[in-house]
Amino acid sequence: MDLQLGKPVAIEGLGLKLLSAAELQIEGSLNTETAQSQIADHLSRIHEYVLTEKLTSFTVDLRKLTFVNSSAIRLFVDWIARASGSNYKLVFRTDRSITWHRLSFSVLKSLAPNSVEIL
Amino acid sequence: MSPTLDMAERTWRIVSEKNAVEDAMRFADLATSYLDAACREAVVLAVAELTENAVKYGSVHHSAGSATLGIASRDGAIRVRLKNPVHSRDDARSVVDTVSRIASSPNVNELYRQRLAELFANPSLPRAQLGLLRIAFEGRFRLSCDYHDPFVELVAERSCDKSK
Repeated sequence: MDLQLGKPVAIEGLGLKLLSAAELQIEGSLNTETAQSQIADHLSRIHEYVLTEKLTSFTVDLRKLTFVNSSAIRLFVDWIARASGSNYKLVFRTDRSITWHRLSFSVLKSLAPNSVEIL
Repeated sequence: MSPTLDMAERTWRIVSEKNAVEDAMRFADLATSYLDAACREAVVLAVAELTENAVKYGSVHHSAGSATLGIASRDGAIRVRLKNPVHSRDDARSVVDTVSRIASSPNVNELYRQRLAELFANPSLPRAQLGLLRIAFEGRFRLSCDYHDPFVELVAERSCDKSK
């Protein structure tokens, strides 16, 4: 995993930061192909890291991620599918005042209830 | 387009595919500055998804004209309209069919859940095809669509009255 603890990475209007060894913060807006492609690479590496470190859960703080396009929703679907297939839990910190958090994450949890927790 | 709505419309012409989505979102944000935050958020979502579809699957430029985006509101209702040329009748039919399926569904939430479940079960599916569903599910818009060669005109309407 090339993200380093506490060192933010900026991709266009998007920011990523590892808050701890098991928590990633994503903030800003995700609506370009460049950002999607780069964040997809980061998420793949985080998935591999979770497996290597045998973590039982990984937390993603999305409370400052205000907008994503539909292609980005798929990134979360894909990550949940990988987590579900690898028996670790993804914990999403969301802000229920943001419509897409409230609506889409309730549906995403229904895909794999044992592998997704929404805070 | 609803025959009951006669609204003054703010329009924006998509002149370049580069940054089209970001520019359209800025236009939507400015054009809806008088709306409450939730409605504004929904309009920006609709505009972003419609513009992305126009860029990805349509053609923003054509000898017959460019893609245009319109936002109008009146009496607590808001309408987002995107008219863009498409490459072929098949592309147009695909959009019209998708909109028709969403518009006629008694349960858009279930349609959205089903699509996410398909993507969950089949990670290799080439297209997410979530944009129009999100507009209906998250944005609570009613969708309609017309095709007049070579233009597809897609309209999203919803109430922005907090009591509804």
